[in-house]
Amino acid sequence: MKKEFSKEHRQYLAKKKRNLALIWVCRIGILLLLLGLWEMAASLGWADPFLTSSPSRIAVTIASLYADGSLFYHIGVTLLETIIGFVIAVAVGCAVALLLWWSETVKRVLEPYIVVLNALPKIALGPLIIIWFGTGSTAIVFMTVLVGVIVATLHMLTAFMATDENKILLLRSMGASKFQILRKLVIPSSLPAFISMLKVNVGMAWIGSIMGEYIVSRAGLGYLIVYGGQVFKLDLVMSATCILCVLAAGMYALVVLLEKLIVKDAES
Amino acid sequence: MKNEILRFDNVTLTYHTKRGETTAAEELTFSVKEGEFVAIIGPSGCGKTTLLSLAAGLLSPSKGTVTRHGSCGYMLQKDELFPWRTIEKNIYLPLEIKRQNTVERRARAVELAKKYGLSDFLESYPPQLSGGMRQRAALIRTLATEPDILLLDEPFSALDYQTRLNVCGDVASIIRGEQKTALLITHDISEAISLADRILVLTKRPARVAFEHELDFGGETRPIKRREMGNFGAWFEILWKELNV
Repeated sequence: MKKEFSKEHRQYLAKKKRNLALIWVCRIGILLLLLGLWEMAASLGWADPFLTSSPSRIAVTIASLYADGSLFYHIGVTLLETIIGFVIAVAVGCAVALLLWWSETVKRVLEPYIVVLNALPKIALGPLIIIWFGTGSTAIVFMTVLVGVIVATLHMLTAFMATDENKILLLRSMGASKFQILRKLVIPSSLPAFISMLKVNVGMAWIGSIMGEYIVSRAGLGYLIVYGGQVFKLDLVMSATCILCVLAAGMYALVVLLEKLIVKDAES
Repeated sequence: MKNEILRFDNVTLTYHTKRGETTAAEELTFSVKEGEFVAIIGPSGCGKTTLLSLAAGLLSPSKGTVTRHGSCGYMLQKDELFPWRTIEKNIYLPLEIKRQNTVERRARAVELAKKYGLSDFLESYPPQLSGGMRQRAALIRTLATEPDILLLDEPFSALDYQTRLNVCGDVASIIRGEQKTALLITHDISEAISLADRILVLTKRPARVAFEHELDFGGETRPIKRREMGNFGAWFEILWKELNV
């Protein structure tokens, strides 16, 4: 049954709706404006399209990549490396965080190692990774894991440690074991933090995989960018970058969708 | 004479931190009998919560013994309901922990919840309930495993005054109605007088039992009625002085 609202409330709802519409119009407007200016700058000779490329040249490049069948090949390679690296980083990060939460001693022993690993620029390990894992996708997946895993660990550990002390006391008064406290309280209360960690790690995974492809690769979007740069085909560089933007946004949107599915909020 | 459910014998508790050691309780001796409602009052920071942790078996005394016959249910200042569980699931929590999650136990718990006015809220999540309702749900959760003694750690102190009086009345009627033994710790003198059969007054840290009183309200157990009775004020005065010795 639909509820009858007062006139003021209907006006309020209509205003909210208008507001949302305005925001979307502005968002899309800015995108179109930027693309338009870019195209104009290139075609009217304000800037050299050899250096800046242009939306139409990007479209042509992508179309030709599609025509020779390499578009989805490169996307597929990078996407697969990113997703595998992302999943491994998240899984290992959560597992290590659990271990550190479980044992205060282990946590204190490992603390300095984690701090150093977190501060270390992972790209410094590039040559080592090539030598250890060769020049294939394994090396790139490893780089992706390396970039994401520490962030995942620290993020989840902070969430686990922030569990309400009084709720722990309550469970202990019921005679709960440490495992029960973990299962009934610590994990469910860390769910929002898990989602925010996934959001951060989507970004980390792309950094890892593209960085990996910069160091060593024969295929993938990172490869296209490096190759394009080396042979001065900036259309190719821009095209690959645009595709990356779309893919990263898509992966982020999937995490947001997951959030809506699993975080059932009481007020919804 | 009724059975003792809980007994403290010369209990001393010292706890250690990096800065040093603190004696929270010293030579503490008292007991709680079956069906009795005992309140413990003391100056703030005298180690009241420590005392409940000892009673619940979460801490072991440094000296002396704590004897408890039967199980206990612990109720905290805040309701500590889990926001991701419905009220019904929250009430089942201790059953899950104690591996007593049987159909009969669950049915008993739900029956209890319905009896005390939570039937419309079983499917709701805690944030949708008022503070008073939430604390009532917390009490039902505590009662779900049918504990032999209830340990109440200032269970009303987080509520506003009106809710507090109401919930206090509800809790009294539930505990009396279910004939439960209870040990209440509070800093609120009038709350102690309005609820308890017997009151123990603790000293400043290290806590010792300074005074002990049987209250004489002639079988009246409703907190709000007690507050209207003539001897309420007299008790308040006595306890107030003893607390400020």
